[in-house]
Amino acid sequence: MGESWFHREFLSARRLSFNFLFYGTHLFLFAYGWYSQATNTKLAALNGLKFSVWTSRGAGLVLAFDGFLILVPMLRNIIRVVRPKLTWLFPADENIWFHRQVAYSMAFWAMIHTTAHYVNFINVERTQVRPELALDIHYTQAGGITGHFMLLIMLLMYTTAHHKIRNQCFEAFWYTHHLAFFFMIGLYSHATGCFVRDSANPDYITMFPFYSTEHCLGYESWRFTIWPGIIYFGERVYREIRARRATRLSKLLVHPSGAMELRIVKPSFKYTAGQWLFIQVPDVSRLQWHPFTITSAPEDPYVSVHIRQVGDFTRALGERVGAGPSVVAALTQAAMKGGEKDEKMVDGGSRGDFVELDPASSSRPLPVVRIDGPYGAPAEDVFNVEIAVLIGAGIGVTPFASILKHIWYRQRSGNLGSLRRVEFFWVCRDAPSFGWFQSLLQEVEAAQADPNFLRINIYLTQKIGEDMLWNIAVNDAGAEYDPLTLLRTRTMFGRPDWKNIYANMATAITSGQYIPGASSQLKTTVGTYFCGPSVLAKAIKEATVEATSSSINFTFAKEHF
Amino acid sequence: MGNLIWHEYARYVSITASLYTVWAGFFALIYRKFFWDFVSGIVRNPGGLQPAPQDSIFITIIVKAPILPIFSMLLGSTLVALDYPAPFLKGTSIQRSIVLRPVLLILQAFLAILFYQGTNGAIWSLVATVCYGRALALGESMKEAKDNKGRSGGA
Repeated sequence: MGESWFHREFLSARRLSFNFLFYGTHLFLFAYGWYSQATNTKLAALNGLKFSVWTSRGAGLVLAFDGFLILVPMLRNIIRVVRPKLTWLFPADENIWFHRQVAYSMAFWAMIHTTAHYVNFINVERTQVRPELALDIHYTQAGGITGHFMLLIMLLMYTTAHHKIRNQCFEAFWYTHHLAFFFMIGLYSHATGCFVRDSANPDYITMFPFYSTEHCLGYESWRFTIWPGIIYFGERVYREIRARRATRLSKLLVHPSGAMELRIVKPSFKYTAGQWLFIQVPDVSRLQWHPFTITSAPEDPYVSVHIRQVGDFTRALGERVGAGPSVVAALTQAAMKGGEKDEKMVDGGSRGDFVELDPASSSRPLPVVRIDGPYGAPAEDVFNVEIAVLIGAGIGVTPFASILKHIWYRQRSGNLGSLRRVEFFWVCRDAPSFGWFQSLLQEVEAAQADPNFLRINIYLTQKIGEDMLWNIAVNDAGAEYDPLTLLRTRTMFGRPDWKNIYANMATAITSGQYIPGASSQLKTTVGTYFCGPSVLAKAIKEATVEATSSSINFTFAKEHF
Repeated sequence: MGNLIWHEYARYVSITASLYTVWAGFFALIYRKFFWDFVSGIVRNPGGLQPAPQDSIFITIIVKAPILPIFSMLLGSTLVALDYPAPFLKGTSIQRSIVLRPVLLILQAFLAILFYQGTNGAIWSLVATVCYGRALALGESMKEAKDNKGRSGGA
């Protein structure tokens, strides 16, 4: 929708340069592999097979390159370390996207390579350039066996990685994707059969790598492609060790909205605001790691995550800790009732308080948890811009809990970097379901000394019935707090008009009203940090691009789940 | 844990297997070879494997006139049209029949295993068959698409 394929792939400088480099490198390697095979006089016998062998060798080199690249974007810990230094060069947060591009390319070149080899082997059999059958090469030699095996693994991995399957049953994707281990073994040993040789029979030796490089004239590409594999394996081992470090679930709070807050104490766990972690509860599942956004600030003495009981895992976890759906439902009802009561509102309170689950009262102690992380998210860069626009949509608001808390701590210690103002937008369909976030926003709002520093904008996009409309109108007039969110900030209804918002912001900044003294600066950077659905991301990104002028630079970063 | 809808998963496997088989069938038109010709065949240098006389029926339909690969390509295309699905099949009772697919897939596997290029297509078709079989065993059904879906996109 909207922009065409051509527009997207070729008319934006960044994507164009990626396409040029990525596919350019692939085509170059293919051409080089073709050329080096076709001109190699030692392989004259093999070159008798003509085009098919040139194609298979060219595609083979490309596949070795892809086999190298495929694991690079998955080196999460290394990416987390290098990304602050390299954000200007490549979007480190798009690592999964890059992983997918490599996979698509790999599938395409695997098709070329396999097709060419089917032709090679039938011609080897017909011409008897080597005394063997096509069947022997396919199913008795290392190259053929590993090749067919890798294709089968690719079938299983690609089909279960489809976004529909991933959403349906993440486990199917997660477990199947670990076949990558065998795939990589297959890749590294693919050439051990010594297919590319200048002798009629393979020249095996007894020493590693068990074939002589004198007569086996392959690319020896495993010497390069194995490194990301080793590093990745090491990283997985390191993650396992790190996850085993002392971790304790110190508190478990159930919020009236139904969200469980897990407060975990792990002294060895260092993170920055807006990052996320993997959590494992061995009592629920010994193998599964689930990603959650950290909702505490680095200054807090604990690491907290907010978990809503929406999926299998989260429900099972709720059952395990004794906060099953029935408990939560009762709590939520009580809370909603509390919220409707007038005296409760006058207290300036919240919609009921959270309940701490006391492990002593239940028969089972709190479960053991393990956490792995933290992993990067673009919102770490908030303090490098003058104005930060934080936009959370629906459940995508979670990373901003940590960021807002963190900003609040930094503000208190007077250490805000270049950050001058924060605009926080929360676009959400039904406000009551995010009760826990409201309580956090209340704290932050109440703590603001400078009314111009943080502005909270809340948009409620659900359709509002007549009853609700009147209810709001009656409660809103003259009240100190907004009737829906119980914040001083008024809730706005309907979808935000991003272009308008950004245009207004740009005008206010250029006229110097927005930040005093900003007009004297050479350039103001307004960083937008968004977390939510991609349609909305696109709309906001367009608005930021439109609003960018010579004196104001609007940047945009999106978080991925 | 997790709730995998097997026929939705099998669809991807089936499409992949069928596309592979069509591609294999196409190459089987150019490089014609009976896969099982090594059974009591003799090797000639040059010339390669000479199939045994009792294979003559297969040699006729695969090597002399590539009828079998053509059938395989047609069947593969049908399966892709059924599973993708093609616009004219969308929502029809044939397209929503889970029973039909494993039948066609087994037939496809049987055809593909007979010619040289078709082995992987055959194995993958069997994988898809197993997935559809699982869907049948679990009593899954394809729901009729709702026509009143609003237009999505835009924010």
